[in-house]
Amino acid sequence: MKIKNGFVVRRVADQCVVVPVGEMSKKFRGMINLNATGEFLWSFYTKEHTLEEGVAALTAEYDVAEDVARADVERFIKTLTENGFAD
Amino acid sequence: MQAAERLKIEEVIAQQGYYAGPTVGVSMLPMLKERRDTIVVRAKTEKLKPLDVALYRRGNAYVLHRVLYPTPTGYIIRGDNCYSNENIPEEDVFGVLTEFYRKDKHYYCTDKKYLKYAKRRVKTYKFRRFFVRLWVCFKAVVKKILRFFGWRRNNNGKESNV
Repeated sequence: MKIKNGFVVRRVADQCVVVPVGEMSKKFRGMINLNATGEFLWSFYTKEHTLEEGVAALTAEYDVAEDVARADVERFIKTLTENGFAD
Repeated sequence: MQAAERLKIEEVIAQQGYYAGPTVGVSMLPMLKERRDTIVVRAKTEKLKPLDVALYRRGNAYVLHRVLYPTPTGYIIRGDNCYSNENIPEEDVFGVLTEFYRKDKHYYCTDKKYLKYAKRRVKTYKFRRFFVRLWVCFKAVVKKILRFFGWRRNNNGKESNV
């Protein structure tokens, strides 16, 4: 899975916010708030990676059990694909 | 990341404390370029001052233009790339620009560099308006001359000799 082009990451009040630019801003009007985990996964999935690679990266970055990481990554991917943010 | 909710900008500001998003339109050039730059708008908590950039509703659209000066009932407002003023009621204005990203560079609306630009933009308005009007007149005269000599564009935009 890979996040589509046309999004930029901004910091507002110490929070990570993703906003669309260019042609993507015609399709998606809004902003995406990410917590620290979301910010990490967003950055990770700007390049093509599988679910397993995401789980491995999350467990390597944070002190978290694999099943918890897997649930987080699956939920993240599901939300992205449901909203048309990822291929 | 939770599932997306469809909210109006006012609702986002009330919920999150701010709205961040792209700009649409050319009315705030050269400061903000359409669909390239990102604005951050927060709720208006007090009467806006000259040079503040207000977010307000005009019918179903949202507009982000600069306050020239306040009035008893609202504001006189104009976009940086516009040549007419608007009289906007206080109740239509619900947000103010507090920071923005121009390309990837971040600015606060309290930055000296930004305030210098804003003051200069307002100060040079009459000068710029004069040259815009001159340019519009020049184009109209050139068009008339070309038509007089029998060279004009047809409805498809192609040249033709009549």
